[in-house]
Amino acid sequence: MTQDLLMRYLIWPLVKFLVAFIIVQVIVAAMNYIERRLLGLMQARLGPNRVGNEVFEKITPRSLHRFIPGGLLQIIADPIKFLLKEDIVPSSSEKVAYFLGPMLPLIPAFLVFCLIPYGPPPTFVVTHVNVGLLLILALTSTGVYGIILGGWASNNKYSLMGGLRSAAQMVSYEVPFGLSIVGVLMLCGSFDLVRIINYQADHIWNLFPQLIAAFIFLVAMNAENNRTPFDLPEAESELVAGYHTEYSAMKFAFFMLAEYSSMIVNCCLMVSLFMGGWTLAINGYGLTTGVLRGWGLAGGILGAVIFISKVMLFMLMYIWFRATFPRFRFDQLMDLGWKWMIPLALANIAVTAVVVLLGLQFNFQGEVVLSIAGAAIIAFTLFLLLRPRAKVIHARRVSEA
Amino acid sequence: MFDVHEMEVNFGPQHPSTHGVLRVILKIDGERIIDAKPIIGYLHRGTEKLFENMSYPMCIPHTDRMDYVASATNNLGFVEAVEKLMGITKQIPKRAQLMRVMLSELQRLSSHLLWLATHAIDIGAMTPFFYCFREREQILDLFEEYCGARLTLNCMRIGGMPDDLPPGWLDDVEAFVDKFDAAIDEYESLLTNNRIWKKRTVGIGVISPEEAIDWGITGPPLRGSGVEWDLRRAQPYECYPELQFEIPIGKNGDTYDRYLVRMEEMRQSNWILKQCIPLVKATPAGDIKAKISKVVRPPEGEVYHSIESPKGELGYYIIADGKTQMAYRCHVRPPSFVNLQALPAMAKGHLVSDLVALIGTIDIVLGEVDR
Amino acid sequence: MHVEYQKPRWTDKFLLLDMLEGLKTTLRELFKPKVTIRYPEERLEPANRFRGMFKFSFDRCIACKLCALACPIDIIYIDVHDEQREIDGKMKKLKVLDRYDIDVKRCMFCALCEEACPTKPKSIWLTTKTYELASYDRKDLYFNMQQLEYWEGRPEYAGLPADEPEPKQIEGGMP
Repeated sequence: MTQDLLMRYLIWPLVKFLVAFIIVQVIVAAMNYIERRLLGLMQARLGPNRVGNEVFEKITPRSLHRFIPGGLLQIIADPIKFLLKEDIVPSSSEKVAYFLGPMLPLIPAFLVFCLIPYGPPPTFVVTHVNVGLLLILALTSTGVYGIILGGWASNNKYSLMGGLRSAAQMVSYEVPFGLSIVGVLMLCGSFDLVRIINYQADHIWNLFPQLIAAFIFLVAMNAENNRTPFDLPEAESELVAGYHTEYSAMKFAFFMLAEYSSMIVNCCLMVSLFMGGWTLAINGYGLTTGVLRGWGLAGGILGAVIFISKVMLFMLMYIWFRATFPRFRFDQLMDLGWKWMIPLALANIAVTAVVVLLGLQFNFQGEVVLSIAGAAIIAFTLFLLLRPRAKVIHARRVSEA
Repeated sequence: MFDVHEMEVNFGPQHPSTHGVLRVILKIDGERIIDAKPIIGYLHRGTEKLFENMSYPMCIPHTDRMDYVASATNNLGFVEAVEKLMGITKQIPKRAQLMRVMLSELQRLSSHLLWLATHAIDIGAMTPFFYCFREREQILDLFEEYCGARLTLNCMRIGGMPDDLPPGWLDDVEAFVDKFDAAIDEYESLLTNNRIWKKRTVGIGVISPEEAIDWGITGPPLRGSGVEWDLRRAQPYECYPELQFEIPIGKNGDTYDRYLVRMEEMRQSNWILKQCIPLVKATPAGDIKAKISKVVRPPEGEVYHSIESPKGELGYYIIADGKTQMAYRCHVRPPSFVNLQALPAMAKGHLVSDLVALIGTIDIVLGEVDR
Repeated sequence: MHVEYQKPRWTDKFLLLDMLEGLKTTLRELFKPKVTIRYPEERLEPANRFRGMFKFSFDRCIACKLCALACPIDIIYIDVHDEQREIDGKMKKLKVLDRYDIDVKRCMFCALCEEACPTKPKSIWLTTKTYELASYDRKDLYFNMQQLEYWEGRPEYAGLPADEPEPKQIEGGMP
């Protein structure tokens, strides 16, 4: 009895967590390389493309040489560099806080990987908590402490300012982050991520009925992770500062790891809440949870692969945004968060509530109305974007002087 | 004495966003700038003193290195000033004049592309940097084909040009010019209508037209404030009177208008190049130098001549003493030096993040400011 | 001509079309072929008139010192002495070059010396398409007469072979 309990609640989740964690960390390490490469390719240049070419050319047959992207060993070279670099500790820094600073963001970033469902339960869900979403939100919010501590402990005026700014940004975008989820909760009726995904498989991806919420969530995700266009703390602007200026080698690597891990967590959340998780189904037809479980382990693996590909899509979107947009100024950033995102999220909640209640009252499906509205907006936008237009559309001469 | 809230910060000479070694001493209150004082002189090389010890043809490579981004226009200014002193301005053959105009306009394109690249990357948009440099490489290849160097060209001589055009150069220019309009459209699609870009540049660093004239600002900052003054039309030189082009003028005098003015100037320069190509083909080949002696000895006198360089009005003031081959005094009026004086007035009241945008929009090159 | 930005239409503002335009451009750029040249495995050949490393020809040089006069930085060091030599049965006074050194580490490769040289073809020329001149030792960058002509004892230059005695005739080039 005890052994059974131990097996079910301790050993088996630990094994699952380790497998998921290792896979995610491999993705994090690869993301470093993928980001530099893709960013380069979007900017009309090649990213890192030399490290390890000879090694891979020796191991693979000749015909496959064209398909191997160059520079794959960069994935290993970067962590080795971090490990071997000299660790410089400023003498006037507050030692305890300085050492604690990088570790604090890692704890919630790694812990949250227990709570995300990667595939159909019960095999591919590490811990099935019925308030999973609430726990995830709470844990990701505690990531701010490390930044404040890191910025303050460096004993550097500009580091402190950068750290405070970053903390203010992350805290103020927690509110739209949370508020945008309320619409999804109203439709799906539960905090349990597995239930939300099953609901989406039975109806339609939450992207369509909750389009505005998805957009707000995307923006808040970018702001939470200090990514462009909200990367003021990270970029080399004004005083060349940021909370991680005084950190070198492995401590800096911890900050980076925490950032990439929380990027993946947020992408997983986005996929689970708005894009249907591991299922590919509409209105019950397609690869729902039931179908995937019916195929046993193979179905589960298929579900996990679908989930990971959707997550990678959003990670690539992070890189795409970084390549395209300029940076917001800090006061404009806070302006956007408080004056635009929060009212928009509240309006979304109000509209969703009204439509769902009217649906219950007058006997039509409220969410179908919302889905049609969402799909119409997406179709209209794509039409306006992709239609062939006259060449000269940009700001040019308005009047002849 | 300082107020309790003020902090004095060094926006130091070594900084990724200051386009060279410019030091700005900022007095800030939290984030707002109360005062900004630029300190220059970190790149001073004594160019004007060097000019006093060199004969006129030997000075030309040294003028390249003042505004190292736009060296053909530096050469042009000096060469034209000496020719004005010698009185042979009317004797420069037509082909040489057209070649000079083509090189100047190509140089204007290259300089504005560099400006756009650095301005965008300072504000945070990383990709226009690489796209602009891709086009700029093609222009530098054109320069290399003509005179042998890419950046410090040394491409003009007193009385004309050193070499004639290599075969196929005009076709290469034509191929480049045909593709360039689409390239400008690409940069504009990333920046011009982008709301983040507009938020960062609209209303930043406003200069009224009267203020601009008072400060002595010239070039795109002046035209961005609404004053219609371009030396290619106001005091024409070379063969600009025969070419058709328009001068873009802004309305509000903020950073966004200066950006629009420079983008439109790039399109106008492209148009000028398109007009020059058939005109050059119509002139006889080989007729590139006026008939003057190899030893350049201008008569005694002084001259001030200015041209429209990509940054503004570049002027050369030369005093010749008629006896030696060297200038008695040669003073350069660099546009960036005079435009930089407006920085404190523009920066007052803005945030520190805007300072970076302002330094980018005045488009300074420290080699010119310090000489 | 006034430049002004177009007033954005309400669809552009609410549907974020301006941002999506930028995203479209970057995505399109992702699939275009890149222009990067992967140095040092691939190299670009410089243009014909490219001003690179010097080559000197002792036979053609008439020791007129015009190149040393023309140099803006005075890095050409020339020593000559007069000699009486018998040519065609008559005693003629000739100038013989003792020393022709160039201090390449201070050179700015402006080619004013090449322009000043009066011989045809030129005795000092820069159109050798060689630009990889870096060295670990400052003394390596001071070239004397033999080194300028034969380029021996120096690192391998990826330019002209060392035994090309004449500059190429470039069309439209300096007369």
